Amino acid sequence: MAAAETKKLSKKRKATQEEDETPAPPPAAFPQEVGLEMGSEDEGAEGDDVSDDGEVDEFPEIDARSDTEDEEEESDDESAEAVEVEDEEEVEDESDDSDASDESLNVWPKPKTVVSDITGQPKRIYPEIEPDYDSDSSTEDTPNRVGNIPMHWYDDLPHVGYDINGKKVLRPARGDELDKFLKTVEDPDSWTSAFDKNLQMDKPLTAEELDIIRRLQEGENPDANYDPYEPTVEWFTGKGKEEVMPLSAAPEPKRRWVPSKWEKQKVMKIVRAIRQGRILPNKPKTANNQPQFYAIWNDEAPTGPAPPPAPKPRLPGHAESYNPPEEYLPTPEERAKWEATDPEDREREYLPQKYSALRLVPAYENFIKERFNRQLDLYLAPRVQRVKLRIDPESLIPKLPSPSSLRPFPVYKSLQVPHADVRVRAISVSPDGQWVVSGDESGVVRLWEVIVGKEVKRWTFKSKVGAVEWCPRTDVSFFAVAVEDHIHLIIPPNLPGPVLTATQHVLAPASLPPAPANPSPVKWSSVPAAQSSSDSPILSLSLPSSAEPPKQLVWHRKGDYLSSVSEGQGGVWIHQVSRRHSQAPFKKVKGTVQLVLFHPTKPHFFVATQRYVRMYNLAEQTLLKTLTPGIRWISSMDVHPSGDHLIVGGYDRKLCWFDLELSDKPYKILRYHSRALRSVHFHPTYPLFASSSDDGSIQIFHARVYNDLMTNPLIVPLKILRGHAVREGLGVFNVRWVPRQPWLVSAGADGQVSVWCS
Amino acid sequence: MGRLKQKGKAGAAKAYMTRSAAVKKLQCSLADFRRLCILKGIFPREPRNRKKANKGSSAPTNFYYAKDIAYLAHEPVLRKLREHKAFAKKLARALGRGEWSSAKSLEDNKPVYRLDHIIKERYPTFVDAVRDIDDALCMIFLFASLPSDSKVSPSLVENCARLAAEWQLYVMHTHSLRKVFLSIKGVYYQAEVFDQTVTWLVPYQFTQTIPTDVDVRVMLTFLELYQTLLGFVFFKLYTDAGLVYPPPLDTQKDDGAAGVGAFNLQEAKPNRPVVTSARSKVVEVDGKRISSKDVRQTIKSISASGSGDVDVAMPSVDADPANEDDEEFVEDNTEDPEDHAPAAPAYTTATLPTLKTLSTIPRSTSAKLFAPYTFWLSRETSRPIFEFIVRSFGGRIGWPATSGSGSPFDENDESITHVIIDRPLVQRQNESEEEKERRRRRKYVQPQWVVDCVNAGKILLEDLYAQGKTLPPHLSPFGDHAEAYDPTAGLVGVEEEEDEVEEMEQEGAEVSEEEGAARPAKSVLKAAAAAEDDAALHAAEVAAEAAGVDYGTFEKEAKKAQKKAKKAEAAAEEEAERDMNKMMMSNKQRKLYERMKYGQKKRAEERQTLEQKKRAIEKEKKRRIQSS
Repeated sequence: MAAAETKKLSKKRKATQEEDETPAPPPAAFPQEVGLEMGSEDEGAEGDDVSDDGEVDEFPEIDARSDTEDEEEESDDESAEAVEVEDEEEVEDESDDSDASDESLNVWPKPKTVVSDITGQPKRIYPEIEPDYDSDSSTEDTPNRVGNIPMHWYDDLPHVGYDINGKKVLRPARGDELDKFLKTVEDPDSWTSAFDKNLQMDKPLTAEELDIIRRLQEGENPDANYDPYEPTVEWFTGKGKEEVMPLSAAPEPKRRWVPSKWEKQKVMKIVRAIRQGRILPNKPKTANNQPQFYAIWNDEAPTGPAPPPAPKPRLPGHAESYNPPEEYLPTPEERAKWEATDPEDREREYLPQKYSALRLVPAYENFIKERFNRQLDLYLAPRVQRVKLRIDPESLIPKLPSPSSLRPFPVYKSLQVPHADVRVRAISVSPDGQWVVSGDESGVVRLWEVIVGKEVKRWTFKSKVGAVEWCPRTDVSFFAVAVEDHIHLIIPPNLPGPVLTATQHVLAPASLPPAPANPSPVKWSSVPAAQSSSDSPILSLSLPSSAEPPKQLVWHRKGDYLSSVSEGQGGVWIHQVSRRHSQAPFKKVKGTVQLVLFHPTKPHFFVATQRYVRMYNLAEQTLLKTLTPGIRWISSMDVHPSGDHLIVGGYDRKLCWFDLELSDKPYKILRYHSRALRSVHFHPTYPLFASSSDDGSIQIFHARVYNDLMTNPLIVPLKILRGHAVREGLGVFNVRWVPRQPWLVSAGADGQVSVWCS
Repeated sequence: MGRLKQKGKAGAAKAYMTRSAAVKKLQCSLADFRRLCILKGIFPREPRNRKKANKGSSAPTNFYYAKDIAYLAHEPVLRKLREHKAFAKKLARALGRGEWSSAKSLEDNKPVYRLDHIIKERYPTFVDAVRDIDDALCMIFLFASLPSDSKVSPSLVENCARLAAEWQLYVMHTHSLRKVFLSIKGVYYQAEVFDQTVTWLVPYQFTQTIPTDVDVRVMLTFLELYQTLLGFVFFKLYTDAGLVYPPPLDTQKDDGAAGVGAFNLQEAKPNRPVVTSARSKVVEVDGKRISSKDVRQTIKSISASGSGDVDVAMPSVDADPANEDDEEFVEDNTEDPEDHAPAAPAYTTATLPTLKTLSTIPRSTSAKLFAPYTFWLSRETSRPIFEFIVRSFGGRIGWPATSGSGSPFDENDESITHVIIDRPLVQRQNESEEEKERRRRRKYVQPQWVVDCVNAGKILLEDLYAQGKTLPPHLSPFGDHAEAYDPTAGLVGVEEEEDEVEEMEQEGAEVSEEEGAARPAKSVLKAAAAAEDDAALHAAEVAAEAAGVDYGTFEKEAKKAQKKAKKAEAAAEEEAERDMNKMMMSNKQRKLYERMKYGQKKRAEERQTLEQKKRAIEKEKKRRIQSS
């Protein structure tokens, strides 16, 4: 663009040279310097065309108005150029029109063309430039001299600034919107005017400015002088301008024509590698897939354990031989059995066979299948490491003292008292160990001697007997029988006189105790002592009616309290004989009460529901603890005479031994009967206990309890007594020890009551 | 208070992973997962509590250790498998577009995985690897005999056959075969390599067909691993034995069905200098102080030279069956007699008890069992089996051309001592004198003789195994479990017992013949034994009198019977006591006890049935002998 401009300028200059014949102004302040600076003899001599001019004239573009040297320069060049002036005339003519229009558009200060007095040639003279600080300013002629400040500072003032002389420039009158509008209508130039901030008024744009706007709008170069289609300037390549001399004297390097040594080396490296076979061009990577073996185990083995080796298959035994001993050959039955079982269930995957010669042995048809199964085992079967036990199984059986060293205990059945083929559920042995009462389901209660089994007396009730129980007192003698909803207290016959009177006194005193304040639903009715006999009960209690007779009767050790358990809620009663008073200790019990038991020494009371055994303190009326035997249905329970241990039997064949001071959980759980447990009983004096079961057997245990808290109780099974027959799945209902003797009385569903002696 | 423990954040829930979870985590297909598991030796585990391991579900699943799976995730083989998947897609596309050249270049650059690192991981030491080659050998021998088809490529079969031959060559070379068992499944061999017993099963030479319910892909994956494993193991075994691995194959011989004879065992060259240097070191040592390092080195060098010497000294038939004799080895010895000086006396005369002789003594007897003999294989016997066995035990063996080429001698060779023959005896009519003479000089034995000799560790009498004879039973050299029935030892005891029983029976028969009232007498005695009190005894006495037994004999018998009864009673009581004591066992102990008892009972029953059968067979035999 610069070149184009300069060209234009040079054209203009020439044009003006022709046109204006004005005298030259006086020389500028420092013409010599400029001339020295710019005057290039070579160029002047050489530059005999237009382009040369342009090059020389480049400078005016930069500081066009500040310099006056042009004149000098021109004048210097004039002599050289004069020759050519004629030639250029045609060009000038052509450009005249454009020049005219250009004049008006020119932003530059207009030069005057005068004829130099020295050369006699026309020359351009530019207006004088005052070399003060503002000489360059294009806004010289603006009247307002406030400078570049926010004009709203003058918003409230009547003037808009000051002129060069310090006089106020008054704010021009500005019309309202209507005026503006009218102006746009009236004044055709109003749309080409713009608001001048400095003067606070609209000023029409000059033609140049409008031209610039137009160019910008059209996307042209804003400079009007720019010619995008200028012909190329052939500085060195034009006709006759070819460079014949070299620019540099350096000789052409060898590398321009010799093949590269380094490239060759690199190529040769590859070539050599290919020749030696190190590089295989187009080598298929997978062609050589044969694994290469090397000493893989020569370097150090990694620390840490190796993965456990796979278990080896079992080595073949004699049976697998092609010619086994004859006894290994399967019999026809074995063969049939082997063929009948599924292949997975077979103990051996083959049948032993015998061939008389090796050449007769055929191929084994399952060979591949077995290999495959082995592999499946290797990668699909879960592996568990198990320690192989190398112990004798007999060593697992606990070593216990021999039963023969723990005598005496019952070993044989000494006698049998038949009950007319009716189930005998209830038996009781008198506290002196002489008599047994047994009650069966037909309502017969029999009294007989332990030693000979002779029946002394028989009572017959209307329905089945639920329980019989001797009173544990030794000074008196009577027993309780539970039938229907009654509890009858009966005095056995043939009592010695003092005992009889004492008993009668206890059961039917001359003066009845005063009736309790709040009468219970249990009715007490007695026969006067004088009329009493052993045939009928001397005292009867009628409980609230229920379908079943009370299933259990328990005496307190002192013989005054009797507890009865009947079916259903509120079936537990505690009767006091001396006061003829009955009370229900529990208003409500969780679950159905199976059994109750008095503690032998303390005022504690055990209540067994279906699953739990609860221990209450009757004196304080609190729950002491709940024992959880883990039995589904408790059938029987007994407390050790010391009162610290409790055994609980269940219908699910379990027997639990509780150490009451140790835990609420059983100390030992035994399961040895094959059917439900029916009854358990501790011997009052000997360290023995017995359990009976529906499998018809009675198991005798030695159970030694130590006073030392650190020693666990010793339980030794002693003897299994068999002799009761099982009827309709029912075996031995009840077992009772004879006090002071290691004898046992048992009652079974087969209607037999047996006595077992040591 | 500590942080609340959340369920499923620790313990079994984290330590185990189901198979489907593992497949998901590894982002591969189930088939790839299986492949990886086979190659890496990862197998499912049984958690203590399946529910805890499976987020409360009790569905039947396989569990893997989560750490095993995490370890699989970094497996280079897994990456290769993924690459292969991409490759398969690319190839399919190229083929679908008919871009044959790009398909070919793809095929050429197919991703291939290597298993070296897996071998090293699974078997950190060489002994580990040797311990675990049983299955590998079984598979290799099986596939070596399979016909090739679309699934089993011929190159695979060929490679398996090569590996099998290499293993047999090594075993023959080192004389490490110990036991052989001819079973109905195939031939079991047991060798001792690096103090590890290696047992493998080789099927009889029949064409096997792969059943349809067998997944060949699984077998091939295993085979891939086994081939690599055996390659490395054999490399180490061969180089340790001073041999070149792989042994070069003579293709001409191989085409002639020479079997193992087609391979040439070559001594590795660098073995010699080691021996000499070791010897020179020993010489140096004499004057110097010996550091522990020196000692170690010498030991190493001695053992190295020892192994080298031993195999040279043995009259083995390894190197080249076509032209090999013992002379070749003599030559070998004479080549550099100085190197092998200590070895020669060790073999020929055992005068100097050197370390080498000591190490060779225990096995020298059985290892070179057949060294003095030369065998000829009859046409119907299996050449690979007996060639392997005989050569492993130092014998020479030849075979007719119908069994393959490469026999070192022909049938007319004078040195043949035994002919292994497996056909019934046929009288030949037109036999020349020479042939008769030859027949007289040679011993004709059935194949079982060879195997029984090997298992017995000595040369058995040939008469029992002569041609056409009924063979004695062939027993497993591995034996059965400890309590099992022993067919050899059982013979004596059983016979005695049996005699007793028989005597008793006979006596009874006699008595019954003599006296018609013998039976009541017996019952009387029984009654006497059972009598508990005097009254019953008396009653029995009376009965005896009535039966006609005199009092003296009755008394004696009664006492005896009572004593017996008492003994039985005591035993029964003890038994009852023990039964009662069982009540006091805890549940766990009882279950364990019952399990153990069950096993014992089963084994005892097995044994009893076998003994009974044996007795019956013996009786039958005796009867037959008596009747004839």
